[in-house]
Amino acid sequence: MLKYILKRLARSLLTLLIIVSIVFILMRKMPITGYFPNYDHMSQEAIANGLHMMGLDLPVHQQLLLFLKGLFTKGSLGISYVYRNQVPVTEILATKWPISVKLGLLGQALALLIGLPLGTVMAQHKGGWIDRFGTGFIVTIQALPAAVYFLLIQLYATEAFRLPLAFTYENPKTWILPVFSLALPNIVYYAMWLRRYMVDESTKDYVKLCQIKGMSSRAIMFKHVFRNAFVPLGQYLPTTLLNTVVGSIYVESLYSIPGMGGLLVDVIKRQDNAMVQAIVMIFATVGIVGLILGDIMMSLLDPRISFTGKKGGR
Amino acid sequence: MDYQDRKVILSVEDLNVKFNLRGKVLHAIRGITLDVYQGETLAIVGESGSGKSVLNKNFIGLLDANGFISDGKIIYYGMDDGNPRILSDFQKEKEWLTIRGSEVSMIMQDPMTSLNPLKTVGKQIGEAVRLHQGLKGAALRQAVIKILGDVGIPEPEKRYAQYPHEFSGGMRQRVVIAIAIACRPKILICDEPTTALDVTIQAQILNLLKKLKKDYNLTVIFITHDLGVVANIADRVAVMYAGDIIEIGTSKEIFYESRHPYTWALLSSLPQLGVKGEELYSIKGTPPNLFKEVRGDAFAPRNPQALAIDFEKIPPYFDISPTHKAKTWLLDPRAPKIEPPAVIQQIRAAKKGGAEYGE
Repeated sequence: MLKYILKRLARSLLTLLIIVSIVFILMRKMPITGYFPNYDHMSQEAIANGLHMMGLDLPVHQQLLLFLKGLFTKGSLGISYVYRNQVPVTEILATKWPISVKLGLLGQALALLIGLPLGTVMAQHKGGWIDRFGTGFIVTIQALPAAVYFLLIQLYATEAFRLPLAFTYENPKTWILPVFSLALPNIVYYAMWLRRYMVDESTKDYVKLCQIKGMSSRAIMFKHVFRNAFVPLGQYLPTTLLNTVVGSIYVESLYSIPGMGGLLVDVIKRQDNAMVQAIVMIFATVGIVGLILGDIMMSLLDPRISFTGKKGGR
Repeated sequence: MDYQDRKVILSVEDLNVKFNLRGKVLHAIRGITLDVYQGETLAIVGESGSGKSVLNKNFIGLLDANGFISDGKIIYYGMDDGNPRILSDFQKEKEWLTIRGSEVSMIMQDPMTSLNPLKTVGKQIGEAVRLHQGLKGAALRQAVIKILGDVGIPEPEKRYAQYPHEFSGGMRQRVVIAIAIACRPKILICDEPTTALDVTIQAQILNLLKKLKKDYNLTVIFITHDLGVVANIADRVAVMYAGDIIEIGTSKEIFYESRHPYTWALLSSLPQLGVKGEELYSIKGTPPNLFKEVRGDAFAPRNPQALAIDFEKIPPYFDISPTHKAKTWLLDPRAPKIEPPAVIQQIRAAKKGGAEYGE
């Protein structure tokens, strides 16, 4: 198991490296006009100076090597020249990522807290009014672009529940709507898949054997069906993490949250290479970690999945 | 076996079961009357779709949701308080929970899918033991290990903590049997328990069931389409066709004295009785469509020697002996004498020659 995880981590690192390199090269292929807000009024000399200062006058592969060297030897993610003038990226992000992570984790927790019971109840009463209502809710949220319901939540919920519009770190009340917004796509995602897998499981033969044993359908639902339906949910964990990341990009700018999500759009527009690279790298890491966690969770819950190679059965 | 003194444990009276399927009604069980005696092994034979499994699902309350009892009664006499229970009137799960497992238990056909793949076999058997014997902790574990040993699983202590995928098909079926036994039922329904297993394992499982029947004082209802298995295990045999029992008697009576043309046809198609070099007998045609009401003897259209009345009127049971009866007009005194097919005559001759059945 440990060997497997180490192997998996090594491979993930490689993936990450490729992603960062691609983004790195793509950013360098953008026109240099973007680096200077007043490009039209600058002399050739000033432009060359500026490029040299940012290290952009070197060939791309040398720039990449320098960046990777800095990353592995000093843990440096480069220096921001546009978003902030000559401040290390790690320093800028240090205050921002804890907020995003906190929001994301709270959203994830809320999604599990609401999504799993909703899916269970729907599967238990398959075809009943609660199932139909839930399905309608799921389809609506899935069909609407997230931007639409994020906006609707902000528009109506702030008024309906008398919640403040802007986010303040110290005021817990202002956390409610952003966290709920982030959780909403995952709530329906968890509910949808859990319901589906529970309905699948409950038609299996072993459920019949449990009935024959004399177990009540309630006990069968919780002791057998729920547990078995939970295993395949592991593969959706990465998606839900990505949902949160993508959601945070929009939600954070909606509520003016000083996190990482809103930042990405901003720094891409302003062509701050170092910032873009760093944020993309962090988001990619979230996705990859999600994948690994999902797989590990499945292997812990399902004895048939073994990473340590084939063991002889029977 | 003397059936005079036997106590009836389960009684079926004129049972009719129907299914709603896409707006049509399928008449799956057409007026079955049957007594099951305490301590016997009753085999129910018939081809696929004859209603064997549907009939038995009624005894444990697991009829599919679109099926219902349209008429008739099922009465269970085995409760410890001595009061009969009318199973056909049960509506709620709560009522069935007093029957399932502790009174009637069942072994299903496919051991590969009957077990929860994510729970150890020890846990799955333990659930049944805890539910019906109220044991916990170390005592529970001991009881489960004993049952594992009883069903012939070697190294039960080690096997206790293993998962179903670590067991072979035959061993899994033993686990399924262990679960059924762990409930301490009075009636054990075996729904083709050996069909999914290979032949060498089949005999082992049959022997195991015979042994458990004795050790645990079970009444066994054995559903099968394999008459070879029947000869091996059953005291009595009920032959089903198109949702009805067309002939019932002791094993000897069914093998040597059968009277219904369908029973003859079934016996004739036994590979063991075929003659080398000759084509094996097979029954022509298909069973009747049960979406339509069947007129007369359901087997008549496939019976080359059917009488005119077979197409008109359902034959009643004719008693051949106190334990043997058949639903065929051939037994009416007015019927013409029709000789059974050659194979049946050979079996009868062989019996007179002194050979024992089941060999």
